[in-house]
Order: sequence, then C-alpha cells, then structure tokens
Amino acid sequence: MRLLFAVSNALVALILLVGVFGLIQPRFWALDVPAGVLASIELVSALALFARLPWALRALALAAWITFVGGLLLVGLVVLTMVFLRSIHGEDGFVATAVSGLVLLLLVPYTLLLPILQLLWLKRQALEPKP
Amino acid sequence: MTGRTLARVLALYALTLALGALFMWRALRLDRARTARGPSIVSVWRGGVRIARKVVTGDATPVLVAEGALPGATHTTDEIIDSAPIWALNRFLFAASVAPLRDGVSVSYRGRDAYATPDDLLKIEAYESALQVGPVGLVLGTDTDKVLATLATELGTTPDELLRDGKFRRFAVRRHTDFPRRLEAKDVNVSALREAVLSAAYYLSHNQKRDGSFRYEVDAMTGEDAPDYNFPRHAGATYFLARAGNQLHDARLFRAARRAGEYMAHTTVRCGAHACFGEGDQVDIGASALALLTYVELLNGGANEFRDAALDLAGFLRAQQLENGDFQHFYSVKEQHPINVQVEYYTGEAAFALSRVARISQNEQDLAAASRALAFLVHRSPLFLGAHYFWGAEHWTCQVLEDLWQRAPDRRALQFCLDWQAANRNLQLDSPPALPEYDGGLSRGPFVSPRLTPLASRLEAAVATLSVARSAGVGKAELDLLEREIQRGFAFLLRYQFLPGPTYLMPDPRAVAGGVPGSPVDLHVRIDYPQHAGDAWLRYLELAALDR
Repeated sequence: MRLLFAVSNALVALILLVGVFGLIQPRFWALDVPAGVLASIELVSALALFARLPWALRALALAAWITFVGGLLLVGLVVLTMVFLRSIHGEDGFVATAVSGLVLLLLVPYTLLLPILQLLWLKRQALEPKP
Repeated sequence: MTGRTLARVLALYALTLALGALFMWRALRLDRARTARGPSIVSVWRGGVRIARKVVTGDATPVLVAEGALPGATHTTDEIIDSAPIWALNRFLFAASVAPLRDGVSVSYRGRDAYATPDDLLKIEAYESALQVGPVGLVLGTDTDKVLATLATELGTTPDELLRDGKFRRFAVRRHTDFPRRLEAKDVNVSALREAVLSAAYYLSHNQKRDGSFRYEVDAMTGEDAPDYNFPRHAGATYFLARAGNQLHDARLFRAARRAGEYMAHTTVRCGAHACFGEGDQVDIGASALALLTYVELLNGGANEFRDAALDLAGFLRAQQLENGDFQHFYSVKEQHPINVQVEYYTGEAAFALSRVARISQNEQDLAAASRALAFLVHRSPLFLGAHYFWGAEHWTCQVLEDLWQRAPDRRALQFCLDWQAANRNLQLDSPPALPEYDGGLSRGPFVSPRLTPLASRLEAAVATLSVARSAGVGKAELDLLEREIQRGFAFLLRYQFLPGPTYLMPDPRAVAGGVPGSPVDLHVRIDYPQHAGDAWLRYLELAALDR
C-alpha cells in the first residue's frame, strides 16, 4: 500500500502541476498558490514514502487531511453553485448542471476517495502492533 | 480516524449540504409557468424614452391610456408572474442572480418600491457585463452598477446606499413583444432572405457619410456612434455592399459601394514595390486582402477604375507569402520590410482575395498562391490527436475552397470544412432546453446570450461548404445536416435583425432599420455585423438561384 500511495500522491501532484501551471493561462495567484502548496505537499509525501523516510506516514497523513478537507469544501462549493445557477436559470441551466456534474465526478476520486483510503490505511497502521 | 467516525463525518456533511441546497433552491427559484400573480407594470415609451409608468394590481387595461394614445407612443404591460429574493451580499452575487432577458429587478427601500423591467434593463444594456477575476475575463450575468444606478435614480439615493439598505427581488413577467420575431427554420425562404439582404445592405448605405466611410458602430438604444473606425471592417462592409449591388442588380447599393471604394483609395500606402492598404507605421495584410476582394467585386460591376489598384494589391499579397503557403501578416511601412508574425483570419482572407483576383488578372501566380495557402490552412498534423475537437473561428478557408473548386479542387480542404461544420453543429443551441428564440444560435456558454456575428461568419463558410459538397457528390445525409444547420442558423439571425426591432426603445429606429445587432442583449450595430449576416444570406440566394 505504501508504494501505491506514493505513486498515487506523485500522480496527483503531477496532475496539479501540469494542469494548473502547464495548461492554464494566464497566471493567477488565487489558483496558483493553493495548487502549488497542495502539489508540493503531495510530492513531498510521495518522495518520503518512496524513500521510506521515518516521517513518511506523518507526511502522508498531513497530505490526506489537507486534501480531504479541501475536497469537502470544493465539492460543497460546486454543489451549491450548481443549485444556485439552476434556481436562477431554471431549465436553461441544464447544460451547466450537466457540466458541473461531470466536474464533480472527476473531482471526487482525487479529492475524497483517495484521502479517505489513505486515512483508513493510516489508522490501521497505527493500530498494528509495532515489532 | 476510524471507518465509523469517517462515515459519520461524511453523512453529516452530505446532510448539511443537502439541506443547504434545498433551502437555496426553495428560496431562489422562480416558477415561470404559473398564472400571473401581479402586480402589473404599465409603461409608456416615446422616442426611445420612458415617459410614464404605473404599477397596478388588478386590470391594467385602463391605466395610462391617455399617455399611450400620444403620437408615436407605445404602451407596454409587464405582468409579474413570480418573484424571488436576490441575495445581494455583493456585486458579484447580484450580477449572477438575474437571468438575462427573462428577469426584471425590483427593490424596496425605506418604504418605497422601484422596478426595472426587462425592457428597462435592455434599454440600459445591463443584461451582460464582463467580470474580471484576477487576469481572467468572464461574462457572467447582469451589470450590477447599471441596475443599481437606474433603481437608485428612481428612488433618489446612491447605488452604494441602495445596495446596502435595499431589499432586492428578481421577477419573471408575462408580456407581449414583437422582438425577437417569431420565426422558425421552416420560415426561412428565398423571399425572406432577399428582404433581409436588401435591408442589411440598405442599413449600410443609409449610414454612409459623404466621404464614403460609414457610421462605424451605432448604438440602437441611444442612437449614438462609436468614435473609432476600422479599415479592414470598412473594406469588408464595402465588399458586401458591392456583392449585394451586383447580385441583386441594385444600382444604388453599387453606387454606395463605389463611394466606399473611393474612400479606400485615399488610404493606400506603399509597401516596397506595391501598394498596400492601411494607415500608420505598420499595416496588416487583412486590410489589403479585404480591399482587394472589394476592388474585384467593384470591377465585376463595371468600376474599371479599380483595376490597377487591385493588381497592385495582389502583388503585395503574393510578396508576403512564405514557402509553406502561409503569409507574413504585417509590413513595416516605416522601415519598409515584411514582419513575419501570424494572427487569425489574415491567411484565409489573403487566400480568398488572391483566388478572386485570379479571374481578373488571369495571372497563374495568383491562383497558385491561393491554392498553396488553402493547402496550408487545412493541413493538420496526424500527430495532433485533438484535431477533430479543436477548431477556431476562421471562416474564410471554406470560402476559398468554394471559389477554387472549379479551377483547383482540394478534397482535403472539403473534408476539413465538412468536419468544421460538424463541430459547429455541436455548438448550435437546441430548443428545448435552450430558449425558443435562441434555437439555431451558437452557444457561448450556458448563461450567456449567443452572439450573431460569429454564427453569421460560420454560416458564410457553411453555405460555401454546402455548395462544394453538392458538386463533389457528398452523401445526402451530410448535405441534409448542412442544410438544416444553415436554415436554423438563418432563422436565429433573422429573428434579431432590426425589421424593425424594438422600435419603442430606440430614439431613431430609422437609422438602424435593417441592421443586425451584436446579440440579443447587445443592440449595437457595427458595420461588420450586417456584412457577415448579409453575405451568408447572399451566398445562399446565389445557391438557390443555381438550383432553380
């Protein structure tokens, strides 16, 4: 699992870095700073897991918690925006609802499912007797 | 955290989110299908100005009758169907809370009420505003400053105070209006298109100045002109006028085009060995290409005084061409050398102009240059996997395809144009779920009104593609799709052409009669708006004449 989470965190960091800094123009601090910070944390935790550093699990926990809380906020924001726009525009907002729904489906695996799995695994690691 | 705790947290989160969403939905939604609850807002408009208003409950028929009977006055009634609060926490949220063209806004402030109906908001052009979020420009919702200013004026306060202390609501209305026209794809026929083309062309000729230039951009809501001018667009409008004059055998339109052509002759400078069109230290080939197109059209109508200028411009364009078929798009007049920079449109415009002039010059170099440019324009690397999905707004390529088809057919270019039109059909709005009046328009996003000119220019290309597809033996299913796309697009354009438009909101309806506005919420007429719509209609009439 350690290796799997190392790869997945590295992948998340890569998606964030390429997606935000490679594809999106022009630069905007409000997007760049959180994306940069999150990508760095994910990358550090991935490297620590790969290298089996003593603080690797703490770094993984930090990355998982930040992603999980950020994910809850982001998903909530998208859902409320969908409902707001649907309330204002009625049936005319159908396309936007569909697109936002797709965005949600794309967000959930990275922002909620992955950190939940990591947090559950970390809990199990903590409960296992130390050699 | 244990699995059980995590599940509890998620359940609590989901419940809170669901309740929040439900509360928001119930608070903000409007039921537009219900019977009108009132009150009714009765207004009288005269000369583009609202001269009287009363808000009444019950029967609105006997209200403001005397004012409505004044010469030139129009009496309108907006019955409020439903209303909902606007959460005016800030300007951004306010802007996003009003559905364009469907909602009005009311405010209660210190015991008094004021209403801005859809007509009021259209009149002050408040239904669309650009919002800057950091470096990103978005078009999202209403212009809050304009709405606040108009309501604050009615209530004798300041916009900031009104935003702070007012209680805002949006409301849906039932009203009778002749704009946009009720017109469907099946209503698009030769006589409707002929009337539309003539009206668009006469809009330009009526708005021509003594020196041959045009009123560049007329705001139908204020009757005012924009102070700037644009030479490529002048050339494009002149090209359309000359085409309309030639094709519809209308001497007045042709005379107007000739005058506009003479205006262009005064803005010619030297670019090396050749003449080029434009002003200042640097010129672009787009202006010269459109000037050349215009001269060719004027020559076709018998204005032989433009022959030498046309051949000289063709020489300039050829001199700007690169080995790969593309062009150097700029020329430094000051330093007398080409500038190898490329932007959208100019290669297509140059290719089209060279293809057209080749018939007059009988110069094989013009034809060869146009063919090479077309091949360059439609070449897409097989390594670019997204080629099927990423398209620009360049609409000249397919017109080059058609113009060259009998002399230098290019099958790859035909496939390119068919693919592009298929992509355009994906962007075409369908009603439902879109509003009925938007059916056939080109989507810019779910909450933004479709613009007319991007659609019109694509339809110029669509008709050119249809023409070639027919002669090339393309299958009936594909031809039917193209035909349907064109008819639906034309219906959308015709709905919004000022024939006569919302005249009661206009100070000078005659000045904009026949004009084509920017969008359902942008009632400005810039000279290229009637040009592109008119040219697309003209092309279709030409094709229909061939059928007959």
